[in-house]
Amino acid sequence: MGLTAASMTADQILQALKERFGEAVLQGDVKGGEVRVTVTPSQSVELLGFLCSLGFEYLNCLSGVDWIGQGELEVVYNLSSLQYKHKAEVNVRIPRENPVVRSVISIWKTANWHEREVYDLLGIRFEGHPDHRRILLSEDWVGHPLRKDYEDERLVRYTPA
Amino acid sequence: MAETVQAPVEERTKDRMEEMYVNMGPQHPSTHGVLRLLLKLDGEVVLECTPYIGYLHRCHEKIGENRTYTQVIPYTDRLDYLASMYNNWGYVLAVERLFGGDIKIPERAEYIRLILGELQRIASHLIWLGTFGLDLGNFTIFMYCFREREMILDLFESVSGQRLNYSFYRIGGVALDLPDSFVSDCKAFLEWFKPRLPEYDAITTDNIIWQKRTQGLGILPKDIALSCAASGPMLRASGIKWDLRREDPYGIYNRFEFDIPVGENGDVWDRFWVRRREMEESVKIVEQALEQLPPGEVMGKVPKKLAPPPGDLYSRVESPRGELGFYLVSDGSTKPYRYKVRSPAFVNLSTLPSIAPGHLVADMVAILGSIDIVLGEVDR
Repeated sequence: MGLTAASMTADQILQALKERFGEAVLQGDVKGGEVRVTVTPSQSVELLGFLCSLGFEYLNCLSGVDWIGQGELEVVYNLSSLQYKHKAEVNVRIPRENPVVRSVISIWKTANWHEREVYDLLGIRFEGHPDHRRILLSEDWVGHPLRKDYEDERLVRYTPA
Repeated sequence: MAETVQAPVEERTKDRMEEMYVNMGPQHPSTHGVLRLLLKLDGEVVLECTPYIGYLHRCHEKIGENRTYTQVIPYTDRLDYLASMYNNWGYVLAVERLFGGDIKIPERAEYIRLILGELQRIASHLIWLGTFGLDLGNFTIFMYCFREREMILDLFESVSGQRLNYSFYRIGGVALDLPDSFVSDCKAFLEWFKPRLPEYDAITTDNIIWQKRTQGLGILPKDIALSCAASGPMLRASGIKWDLRREDPYGIYNRFEFDIPVGENGDVWDRFWVRRREMEESVKIVEQALEQLPPGEVMGKVPKKLAPPPGDLYSRVESPRGELGFYLVSDGSTKPYRYKVRSPAFVNLSTLPSIAPGHLVADMVAILGSIDIVLGEVDR
């Protein structure tokens, strides 16, 4: 039995991640008992797999954010450990042009639909996804609505009085 | 209790006949909305099941990004329209957490939130039980459940003026105080409701047809439940004792005594039985809360301009369907920069392709019903 999150605090988990992935961990802190790290796209799957082996067996949520100001897109993984009551958030940033990250379906099956949704609404592609299709919008839809520069005349924008 | 009556999947599918594809839905009464399941069949046996969703998609998240934090509340009602109170709660809680403890919720408001939330859970489970009964051809239970749910809706109407989309929770508290008659009305309802549960049992739990149509069907093993991130009654039916009201308490749940019903096999029966017992537990919680209900304000101090400090946060609550999560990113303005809904029904439905193969077409209706989907929430 290897390392598990059983007897580790959030700080120790962060420390273990930094030791193991070194430069690849671009940013890391602990906020409200939650481990939060930003990792390079090249090491994202390895880091998430390592967290899973530590006991983060539950992928709560997988979402994406469009940081148009920085020219980047972000994929956010919210994990938790049901056995050890830990929480973690992993962020991966990729350029807005040609946004590709690797799929985590091999680690958590639930990523399947989440990744399809992120692709559908934000246009991030997931390498290694076995069923890479749109999920909520129709197949012939043009564009990705959650991008900040997406325009649709049917969208009613809020203008303060 | 009867043992599993069906042979293993391999045995039932070993003599392959001609395969064919059949669409179940989108217009099908037992898909509970507009959901299309593409079934690959071998005779009567399902080999593959592919759900197609999105028929009710309205890009809820994009709408949310274009509204102020307060303006989003009515939209959350329309996510899971059978548990609007709980969606309101999940959302306002996420925004309050984004303020990092600057917004204090008055005691009375916490109690009101909890009482209405748990009544909503009963109402939601009643709808589920009723419509699930319809799926199985048991019409009586449907009538019984809707009778009791109507009483809860009357209570909600007396509180908020609405019967379905309440928009009752506010960032910092709740919209209005309870009417004077609420406590006595609610107690009268609970007294009426408690003896009804054994009546339901008489036509469901103790009913041999009900048992045969649910036991051993649609088994979701523990490891797949975890990997697929199933939540709520779906996860607990698979034998994992995980309830956010207990494990990650929000509001004032840690003040009350209640049990967390857990199943053993993760079949349709267990999912039914977990929900059936959860109604009892919710009754217990509401009874305790009504006893302790303190007087006082129902709205805390909230800044006039609601602009949370920059930051992001994933907040989750245990809605009747499971883990309802809100991922919010604030850029310091009055509108959420990113507003993501982790809907429990969406994730629970994604387990269907794993559990459907090997079952008869007729049983698909029972399996789908047992997941308890609300398409308003799946499609967002």
